[in-house]
Amino acid sequence: MDEHILDDLALNNALSGTNSHLKLLLGISSILICVFSPSFFTPLVVGISMAAVTVGLAKIPLREYITLLMIPVTFAASGAIVILFLTGGGDPILSLSLFGATLTATTGGANLSLLVLSRTFGGMSALFFIALSTPMIQIFTVFHDLKFPREFIDLSMMVYRLIFIFIGEAIAIHNAQVMRNGYNGLKNSVHALSMLCGALFIKAWVRGEEMLIAMDSRCYDGKFEQCGAKQTIGILPAAATGAYLCGCSVLAVVFSGITLF
Amino acid sequence: MHIMEGFLPSPWWQLWWLVSLPFVVLGFYQLRKMFQENREALPLLAVAGAFVFVLSSLKLPSVTGSCSHPTGTGLSAVLFGAFITSILALVVLMYQALFLAHGGITTMGANLFSMGIAGPLLAWVLYRAGKRANLNTFLVVFIAALAADLFTYMVTSFQLAVAFPASEGGITTSFAAFLAIFAITQIPLAIIEGVIVALIFKYIIDVRPDILVKLNVLSKTAIERIREAAA
Repeated sequence: MDEHILDDLALNNALSGTNSHLKLLLGISSILICVFSPSFFTPLVVGISMAAVTVGLAKIPLREYITLLMIPVTFAASGAIVILFLTGGGDPILSLSLFGATLTATTGGANLSLLVLSRTFGGMSALFFIALSTPMIQIFTVFHDLKFPREFIDLSMMVYRLIFIFIGEAIAIHNAQVMRNGYNGLKNSVHALSMLCGALFIKAWVRGEEMLIAMDSRCYDGKFEQCGAKQTIGILPAAATGAYLCGCSVLAVVFSGITLF
Repeated sequence: MHIMEGFLPSPWWQLWWLVSLPFVVLGFYQLRKMFQENREALPLLAVAGAFVFVLSSLKLPSVTGSCSHPTGTGLSAVLFGAFITSILALVVLMYQALFLAHGGITTMGANLFSMGIAGPLLAWVLYRAGKRANLNTFLVVFIAALAADLFTYMVTSFQLAVAFPASEGGITTSFAAFLAIFAITQIPLAIIEGVIVALIFKYIIDVRPDILVKLNVLSKTAIERIREAAA
């Protein structure tokens, strides 16, 4: 069970009052700068600065942030190793013998894997910035303002509500099963997990029906009303965002030629 | 099987977004029709979406930029059809990116194609074909969920392979390499998910078979037959 729901942190962060359009613009633009940057340098700068903003301005605890960052960075690092040995070009720098096969890393492979690694780091930092600074409720308001399909927003809001019900139920069932040795051995685990999922589905299904009754009795007419508070865009945050994005774009262009080898 | 943010270079992430787009549009069209005809569809779909999310948050580590999960989309495809599932998967992927830091925004197109379109489409086709051939319902559900998972994992490997072809042997070699690396976690995972989904199906038939009739997943006579066989 993954209980690291980032929304919990996002609800209490120091930037929650800042305009959510601006935060999404900053996050998504940073991701795009990383993906389009031909050199590893700019994504690295974006990654470090986004992490600094998230920890420094949004006041997300550093320890939590590092734990979160380790999940994708570990995966990206192992992926980069595969790319290092698979792709090539340039001079060989390292040879390894593994199960009788020889794996050779070249300078081309090293450049590419460093680029992918830094892009993932930059992209994930920017994604974390969005996830940790903008509560989901604010994101719904942005979707609404951007004229996303109504069905999509309504469905997302209801899924949002149900996710927390489901996780609560799942933890309760899981605890009860663990206390009864439910996860003792593979056969028991499979049985216990399917019981958990089945019971979860039915319980949540009943909740969903009850929710419809509750909604009907409150005059639900097939539409959810958006009650997001209007947020003003401050001059300082807007200027800072603009300056940051321009700076990163310039960096990406100026340092486009930098490679490791 | 999520590809992390930033892992797919241009033009591949844009390309996968473009490939996924028609399915999303078609899904929205069906969703709108469903909401108009049957208002109860909204809570039902929301339950399915949240369920897919919780199921996919059970994760196992694996090598290379993505990590291994049950996808949960096989069940959704059998219950609601392939196109609605693509919308559910879009919602779920958004939450996974924002809540769990799985996947990303640029890579969402690729992840949506593998988890939300390719896998569910195959599951749906297999379920319909199996039902028409009068096979055991639970076996058909097992096969559909298993195939959805395996196909998702193959598509992800392919997506990574075309973006990072090997210098010797090209796409084929790197496809084989990515397949081999994911196989260790994905094949056992797919079998387990198949069993679990089949058992969930059994629970639904036991407790609320009326839902399945309403969704046109099983006919009344089929449910009576299954219940008689179990009794």
